[in-house]
Amino acid sequence: MRNAPAGLPRLIPPGGPLSLAEHLARYGPVPFRDAAGTDGRGLIAEVERAGLTGRGGAAFPAGRKMRAVAETGRRAGPLHSPVGTVVVANGTESEPASGKDQMLLARAPHLVLDGIAVAAEAVGATRGYLSLHAGNDELARQLAAAVAERDREGLNRVPIQVLAAAGGYVASQETALVSHLNGGPPKPTFVPPRPFQKGAHGRPTLVQNVETLAHIALIARFGSGWFSEMGAGAGSALVTAGGAVRRPGVYEIALDMPVGDLLRQAGGPSEPPQAVLAGGYFGGWLPYEQALGVPVSDPALRAAGATLGPGVLVLLPESACGLAETARVAAYLASQSAGQCGPCHNGLPALARALGQLAFGPPDARALGWAEQLLGLVARRGACHLPDGTAAFVASSLRTFGPELRLHGASGPCPRVRRRPVLPAPWHDGSGR
Amino acid sequence: MSPELRVNPIACEAHGLCTELLPELITADPWGYPIIAPGPVPPGLLPLARRAVAACPTLALLLGDPE
Amino acid sequence: MTLLAAQLRASQVLAVRVPPGAIVVNSSTPLWYLTRATGLVALVLLTASMALGLLSSVRYQRPAWPRFVTAGLHQNTALLALAFIAIHVVTTLADSYAPVRVQDVVIPFISAYRPLWLGLGAVAFDLMLALIVTSLVRTRLSYRSWRLVHGGSHLAWPVAVLHGLGTGSDTPVRWVLAVTVACVALIAALTGWRLAYGWPSHAGARLAGALALVLALIAGGAWLTAGPLQPGWARRAGTPPQLIHGGRTITRPAAGGAR
Repeated sequence: MRNAPAGLPRLIPPGGPLSLAEHLARYGPVPFRDAAGTDGRGLIAEVERAGLTGRGGAAFPAGRKMRAVAETGRRAGPLHSPVGTVVVANGTESEPASGKDQMLLARAPHLVLDGIAVAAEAVGATRGYLSLHAGNDELARQLAAAVAERDREGLNRVPIQVLAAAGGYVASQETALVSHLNGGPPKPTFVPPRPFQKGAHGRPTLVQNVETLAHIALIARFGSGWFSEMGAGAGSALVTAGGAVRRPGVYEIALDMPVGDLLRQAGGPSEPPQAVLAGGYFGGWLPYEQALGVPVSDPALRAAGATLGPGVLVLLPESACGLAETARVAAYLASQSAGQCGPCHNGLPALARALGQLAFGPPDARALGWAEQLLGLVARRGACHLPDGTAAFVASSLRTFGPELRLHGASGPCPRVRRRPVLPAPWHDGSGR
Repeated sequence: MSPELRVNPIACEAHGLCTELLPELITADPWGYPIIAPGPVPPGLLPLARRAVAACPTLALLLGDPE
Repeated sequence: MTLLAAQLRASQVLAVRVPPGAIVVNSSTPLWYLTRATGLVALVLLTASMALGLLSSVRYQRPAWPRFVTAGLHQNTALLALAFIAIHVVTTLADSYAPVRVQDVVIPFISAYRPLWLGLGAVAFDLMLALIVTSLVRTRLSYRSWRLVHGGSHLAWPVAVLHGLGTGSDTPVRWVLAVTVACVALIAALTGWRLAYGWPSHAGARLAGALALVLALIAGGAWLTAGPLQPGWARRAGTPPQLIHGGRTITRPAAGGAR
């Protein structure tokens, strides 16, 4: 197939960002229905066949979401008439250790915008939004310019508004983003109704991570067969490798590459390694030796006790204390509660305090039991997944850092708690970064 | 199919009437918020469940078919 | 029965000391008694309902008094109050003594009899109907709409009190006044509690509310002493002239006992 990338990279072109003309030359024209001769609904079926899952962290099947929006939109109007739906490209990226969405928007904006355009056509959208992390004015300007250029060439099909998302960890959650778009607070809302039923401006809304839309743009051109040639059928993904590696940064990998290979690509450990955090702050820890052979894919990582999340892997060195890192992140996550739901608003700070006690305080026989009780009390009792994700992360920490727990429980905090933090916990800066 | 109870955690303000009216299925956590026993409501408790739903001051308790 | 005889009879029935120079407007028909009695009972029940509502908002609870008891009593006293108001309205309409028409019951300030003060009764009645109807279909409304209408209760109760004081011919009667003042004191105290208890983040609004409460009590007390408790109130309140009789002192017939 013409211009179909063989192997990697698929998403990030080598060298600097491509102009619109260079982009079209490299990948071919935007495969709209009329140009490609295929029916819009065909794209949804193609994405379903490809098995593409969302790259924002929840790994929800993209095709299923598109189909839900398209079908709801066909009957959502008065007397079951069709209404124009909305496509939201979620580039908010509030996960502190993640940088892939900003990199994708900077290096391959037209691929994301292609994705918005073809998805909009497939789900019957009449408007589009592209959100990016707050504080990136220069990038916002570049993206707005790219949108304007495509408007002139008739490549957008729907008006697309580039906007800065609100700061804060929960602002990237899909209902929080929709609430923000509707002029409300950037806080999660109760579901149902989910955005695919009633979202921006009350219309069925497709909220997809920007990387997911970029994959959709490629599937629209080159098909599901091409997509599944890599990564044991799951394709490729952008991951952010950080922590104690020599070359931290964003890498595009096939979704069956072992963790060890990724770490090697990122330059290998910069100091003796201890454990790998996979999946960001809703993810889990894997002891270093155990992590090396695990493929970087959501199913494999889940089976090992972690997740893929938004493609975040952080290498924890021996010189750091896993409990201290966990306690700091738990305090950060607790500070990010929207404060709407009692169990989260009360439970997460209590959990953070208990972990702080375990990590930094004198031995306390009750702290561990209380922390474990809190894990059960907060899980799945909020409107969003902040409490569950935090609980899963903390539970994984307590399992993985058993030796530290025993050490601290016997003689108090180890000297490693004073090391400069490895995991970013930017809660003094409201922007979430 | 027997309906299930669930709570809208955003609307819930821990008034606690549901824990008083349906202690068989709803208990209070350390901060007064409801913990609902999972699964469908036993048919014998359905009238009490409906009463608890009507009694919630913020209409946070919901009785409906599972999503 | 002549009017004077009727007045004498009424004062015997009332068996109270009427301030000298006061104008007593009354009718001796049972309907008029029923109207006044049900009005007073409705006020007491409304006060009870409002008090229970305030107790609910401060989350009052004791081991032997769970919250659903407060909630249930609150609803039931409101419904009972509505029953008494219904009788109050029907007997007023049926009694041909005071010229009140059906439309005066729901449309405020258009009656020929004490238009302002009766009109306040219509306002309170309309608000009560809205409160009760929306509460009966509560689960079908959005919480926000229901809450908005329910906020009208803060208006309905004081309006009902003013209606009673302004329209009621029994305002100068000591025990009636005492009951009314007790009702106001209870609600004022509970409102103070509510202001002290809730809205930790809205200290400004709470302070303003407390100030408004105190001012309202002072203004109300001043109006009461200058208005309904003064001679000539019936005329000033808008009683049609043909129902008023010039300042005759009503005394008990000499035969029958001491003053």
